[in-house]
Amino acid sequence: MHSLTFSNMSKAYGGVPALADVTLHLAGGRVHALMGENGAGKSTLIKLIAGVVRADSLTVIKDGQTLPLTNAQDAQDAGFRFIHQELNIVPQVSVAENILLGRALPRRFGVAVDWADLRAQARAALKFLGATHIDVRALAGDLPAGDKMMMKIAAALVAAQGTPADLYVFDEPTAALTGEESDMLFAVIERLRAGGAAVLYVSHRMDEVLRICDDVTVLRDGARVSTKPVADTSKAEIIQAMTGRDVKDAYPPRSSAMGDTIARVENVQTRDLHDLTFDIKAGEVLGVSGLAEAGQSRLLRLFMGLNRVQSGRAEFDGAPLPNSPAQAWARGVAYIPRERRADSLCLNMAIRSNIVLPHLGRYGLRAQKRRERRDAVDMGQKVRLKSNGPEQPVGQLSGGNQQKVVFARALLGNPKLLLLDEPTRGVDVGAKYDIYLLVRELSAQGCAVILTSTDLPEILGMCDRVLVLQDGRQAHLLDRAALSGSGDLLTRFYSAEQGGQ
Amino acid sequence: MMNTFRQSGTLLGFALIVVFFAVQLPDTFLTARNLINISQQLSMLAVVAATMTIVMVMNDFDLSVGSMASLSGIVAAMVFAAGYPVPVGLAAGLLVGVAGGLFNGFLVSVVGILPFVATLGTLTVYSGAAFYISNGKTIFGRDIPAGFSGFARGGVDIGDVKIPFLTITAGLVIFACWFILEHTTFGRRLYAIGGNKEAAHLAGLKVVRLRLIAFGLTGLGAAGAGLMYAARVASANPTQGSGLMLDAIAAVFLGMTMSRRGAPRVMYTLVGVLILGVLDNGLTQMRVDSYVREMLVGLIVISAVAIASLSQRGR
Repeated sequence: MHSLTFSNMSKAYGGVPALADVTLHLAGGRVHALMGENGAGKSTLIKLIAGVVRADSLTVIKDGQTLPLTNAQDAQDAGFRFIHQELNIVPQVSVAENILLGRALPRRFGVAVDWADLRAQARAALKFLGATHIDVRALAGDLPAGDKMMMKIAAALVAAQGTPADLYVFDEPTAALTGEESDMLFAVIERLRAGGAAVLYVSHRMDEVLRICDDVTVLRDGARVSTKPVADTSKAEIIQAMTGRDVKDAYPPRSSAMGDTIARVENVQTRDLHDLTFDIKAGEVLGVSGLAEAGQSRLLRLFMGLNRVQSGRAEFDGAPLPNSPAQAWARGVAYIPRERRADSLCLNMAIRSNIVLPHLGRYGLRAQKRRERRDAVDMGQKVRLKSNGPEQPVGQLSGGNQQKVVFARALLGNPKLLLLDEPTRGVDVGAKYDIYLLVRELSAQGCAVILTSTDLPEILGMCDRVLVLQDGRQAHLLDRAALSGSGDLLTRFYSAEQGGQ
Repeated sequence: MMNTFRQSGTLLGFALIVVFFAVQLPDTFLTARNLINISQQLSMLAVVAATMTIVMVMNDFDLSVGSMASLSGIVAAMVFAAGYPVPVGLAAGLLVGVAGGLFNGFLVSVVGILPFVATLGTLTVYSGAAFYISNGKTIFGRDIPAGFSGFARGGVDIGDVKIPFLTITAGLVIFACWFILEHTTFGRRLYAIGGNKEAAHLAGLKVVRLRLIAFGLTGLGAAGAGLMYAARVASANPTQGSGLMLDAIAAVFLGMTMSRRGAPRVMYTLVGVLILGVLDNGLTQMRVDSYVREMLVGLIVISAVAIASLSQRGR
């Protein structure tokens, strides 16, 4: 059996370490899980061993021999195969062509594609995986998600033609799969393992990892926290390792009381959300959490009039929910979308213009540059914005400062309800803390806040109650008492994903 | 530094063109009479280009302005021919433009068709309509009241020069567009839509309505230019506005080369209009063949935009 060691793996982006001196030992015939929260360094680690990103330092030793690894070709030559989370398939062509994508297609008479041979090769690869039900002549785009995954694994096998692959890396492979499809995948992984290959399995699905993996390495903040055989650890221990930072210091404590209920949602159903029942008080911070795409953004959009209530009762500030973003802003709902560049900012426009954008109506018909500038400067100071003045184009600011511009916009209206969709994503640590302080100040002024985050410590540190979503359905509504026994919440959070399948 | 060069490059080019013609045509070019003549010649283009700027601020554009201009000229002339007084004809012509513009806006913002496709379609629709209602004939002579065509010949005497009404009209339209775009909340919202449509929508701007109104204004401008043209030649025919569209878009693009953030602005559009007008006037006076003239104008527009985009890449 092979042994593979990746040691001294380090990578910094612009001076900020994404991965610091991580070592990973893999062995043929074993499945090794790599776990960690978003931003823990999992993706960076995979990119380094795939040769996609140049490491600051990295030593690869395979069976006692040092291997070069500076580009994607080196990784291929070393026998490493990668099955990525977002499957890059060509939907318009056949399964067989996708499986042999990027390889020289078999030819007849030197010019014509030898379709029979092409299909035979693709079939052989699928047969090895036990996925003989897939028609190699079908269009790749027509396959269900699980079959697409099989197709990509088959492509990885074919690419290994000649040199057998020694390492398969799966990056969150079950994210888009049904339970049944996942089972099929696990059977394939078992087969690869039995064949003597090493498997690196990246996931944050706890139960999966416990079920199919032999060893588990946990990353946190770019460093390795622990590596243990799965048999010697437990769910609770792994979660502790993943989230073990000191929650108290990273988040300013809340210091104000809550007021009356400002929004109420009862048995609400929309096209893509179900069974929502919750209320929110003035000054409260309600967290919305769950797996990626469980409906967090859709829930926020409900209050912007972008997601229609089909049944049930929902009201905000004593009236039905706003039916358009224009009405929402006018009624004191401020919205900070997840995609800052795509959905929030006009990058080529001035800070001032971006801040006053939803509030232009308040200045009257005639544009009032001077008043706008004064407001923009005031708000900029409030959010601790660092810039060269209100006329600087937003596109020139750092991610954290851009986000502060978006906050300044929200604050300018003295909102009654603030909707925050992953507000600290792509924001540096210092700016993060400023943003938390702002949330606290706003709730002290009686503004209700709904905050979505896939960063669990952030949810725990900032929120008074947490609504856990699962496939668009409200799964739990946890209050302060449940939150204080945080282990319980964590377990629920990470098991929510299992129930969803 | 590079940025300043890029911004002033077009203006510098304009100055060079003026100097070139002044040297080549010492007796005729820089005379009050010729300059007034130029201002009158390009007044229609100025109106279309200024109102075209309103939609181009949102990254949209309107290919149908030329045929809208023709159509509104024809409609006004037919109303005159039917014996109605001048104001009724003018109102009818302008109304046609607003309706045509709103229809463009409806297709683009409510239905969601790309502006290129939508206005390419309406270009032929409006042009066809102009041919259809006029039977493809030019309306002229007694059908055009003197009160209408006289406007284009008249002007305000200042000392011994006469500023034509057409020039004054163009000036007022430019001022109005400048004021709307730069000094009203409405205009600022249009710029925000151009900056990021989705962000503008999520920030509560009524994007659909704003785009509709903007296209309506562009249609109004096209109709105004069509009426000015009809008055100037004392006749209306279904193709007379067709040259306006490309020149107007070219003028806006020329102007955008001067804009610091690459967004169109009315005063820069005016410079674009002046460049095109001066080139046309000067080259004609130098008896440059009209086909050569067309090639030259096209090449100048392309090189100005090319230089601007190259220097922007260098930043």
